[in-house]
Amino acid sequence: MRRLSIIAITVVGVAGVVYAQGRGGGNQGVQTDGGVRYINPGSPTVSDAEATSRPIPRLPDGRVDLTGPWIGGGSNGDIERDGGLKPGELPLLPWARELRDKRLAKDEPYTACLPMSVPRVNPYPWKFAMSYTSRGLSHIYVLHETGDAGAHRVVYMDGRKHPPKDEWVPNWWGHSIGHWEGDTLVIDTVGYNDKFWFDSRGTPHTEQLHTIERWTRISWGRMVNEFTLDDPGAFSKPVTLKFTARLLRPDPETGIGDLMEFICLEDNQYGRAGGLQGIGSGTSNQR
Amino acid sequence: MKKLFVLALVVSIVPVLADAQGGGPSISTQRRKGPPEGPVPRLPDGTVDLSGVWVGGGPINDIEREGGMKPGTLDALMTPKAKAILASRDVTQEPHNRCLPMGVPRVTPFPYRFVQTPTHRAATHLFILHEGNIHSYRQVFMDGRKHPPIEELDPTWYGHSIGWWEKDTLVIDTIGFNDKFWFDRRGTPHSEQLHIVERWTRTSLGTMENRVTMTDPEMFTRPLEFVFTATLSPPGDELLEYICQENNQYGQQTIPGFNPATGETKK
Amino acid sequence: MKTKLAFAAALAFLCAAVPAVAHHSITGEYDPNKTVALAGTVTKIEWTNPHARMYIDVKQPDGSVVNWNLELLAVSALVRNGWTRTAVKIGDSVSIEGIQARSGASIANARVVTLPDGKKVFSGNNDQ
Repeated sequence: MRRLSIIAITVVGVAGVVYAQGRGGGNQGVQTDGGVRYINPGSPTVSDAEATSRPIPRLPDGRVDLTGPWIGGGSNGDIERDGGLKPGELPLLPWARELRDKRLAKDEPYTACLPMSVPRVNPYPWKFAMSYTSRGLSHIYVLHETGDAGAHRVVYMDGRKHPPKDEWVPNWWGHSIGHWEGDTLVIDTVGYNDKFWFDSRGTPHTEQLHTIERWTRISWGRMVNEFTLDDPGAFSKPVTLKFTARLLRPDPETGIGDLMEFICLEDNQYGRAGGLQGIGSGTSNQR
Repeated sequence: MKKLFVLALVVSIVPVLADAQGGGPSISTQRRKGPPEGPVPRLPDGTVDLSGVWVGGGPINDIEREGGMKPGTLDALMTPKAKAILASRDVTQEPHNRCLPMGVPRVTPFPYRFVQTPTHRAATHLFILHEGNIHSYRQVFMDGRKHPPIEELDPTWYGHSIGWWEKDTLVIDTIGFNDKFWFDRRGTPHSEQLHIVERWTRTSLGTMENRVTMTDPEMFTRPLEFVFTATLSPPGDELLEYICQENNQYGQQTIPGFNPATGETKK
Repeated sequence: MKTKLAFAAALAFLCAAVPAVAHHSITGEYDPNKTVALAGTVTKIEWTNPHARMYIDVKQPDGSVVNWNLELLAVSALVRNGWTRTAVKIGDSVSIEGIQARSGASIANARVVTLPDGKKVFSGNNDQ
């Protein structure tokens, strides 16, 4: 049935990555491109046209449901561009700009299966797991694909404060506390280490980093991440970036569109084809 | 009863020493007093609330002993293939040393959580978040789906898990495992035919029983039954970050001839 | 039920601080028969996983200095044992009891650390 209904689309879907850049599931079925026949399984991403076709779901207690699964909603290749800024607009201090321009994508910690932290996303599904207990919503966990280094992130929803600086060992995800402002989830985080990169370009930061994320589900199919970055060690002033996440429709039979296992370390040969040494050789030693 | 403090039994006795800093008893000190006592909590809809920071509840060193089997039973049930694999293994080779997953039903000394996530419908997924191992999680589909045919499943470290409630017991049924993880430090093996059913019952506020049935015709001549017990960590404990691969130096300079990429040691 | 819990509490009290069992087996890498007692100055601390590490300069009888790589518990385990970031700093004088690497290198699993203020803390793994 699907094979017969050819939908005219402006973007040519080429066989490959299933999570196309937001144009949705059109043109499924057997296709021909340049004489090559292939099957387009369709994209699980909810298209722009469908994004407002249903109401925003709510949980039994009235809270907006932020579960997802989602794709996008953060930086990847270039935080400045991905976050809606013009080239050069990111207020990096001179040493930070210099470092970013010196860094090479092949050296980024992520290639050694280390966490990518915020506001980074890769082109795979992720979810907000809103953990309801007998005492209400105690935590929200951000789940990236199983085994995608640093796979889960904890947001405390019980009103606690950040611990004093000298009682906290800086780590990849920091210490996150969350609260609601209407239907917007606000996540305030400090305590990051300086080891991850904001993008594959290598935009750096320091342990002074303080982030405030404001997540608002603006429609059934779309969620906005207003991301404020405050790091006097690497930036001349705080800056706010905007990212948009797109909803996925998981297929229960194939698992496409839902979280899947991704054990980065099981056979990480990053760089071997290019003769790179060190990072990605199967173990990681950050000394 | 043995399983309750199996972790303690394995360890040689060392005098308990001071907490490093003042400011109230540490989590370790509080844990020594035993788990919190009280009734089993429930969610508003009556479902048992499995939330909490849990420790134990699975094998670490020796699945036979820690799972309540009489000594020698497990080896007697092994096929020749399983015996050969076990004989070839030693603890320095295990994938866990290289920050690879521990699969099911193994646990680490680090805690884990059950995350129940009702959405605008009844919960379709349940997650088991681990602090330790590779700081990852297991995904259990609670929406009534069946397993895909095993030929269509890509073998994975944690398999394909479906779950449902039988009264107050959470049943998790998993197939689709790869054969790469070890059940324990001994190296008890399995194949891709492994099928595990776990029955998790929160017996009180502070304790949870995990009854595990394992079938693997390629490795064991009949189904295996184990019982493990998890205990609740004191309130105030949380899952902390644990990124194994950030500074893993296992074997690199401590074991002559060790190959960190494969876990093999050149004699 | 009460007796079970009391027995568990007593036994747990007698044994090493939680986590009693290591992330991985210690005896694969370290020889329980090669006990070491070292005193030195802290040169570096890595607050990392799977093990935090403390590096100390140990003066030898002949006046030379050997830098030892000391393996501690994971950060999360140290935190649960009451450690904070300020417990040990670069430049502090500490002493340790532990077991040495099978290779004979200057690497040890440090079971007990005596802090600058004289307090002893459990820091290592103890399984056999």
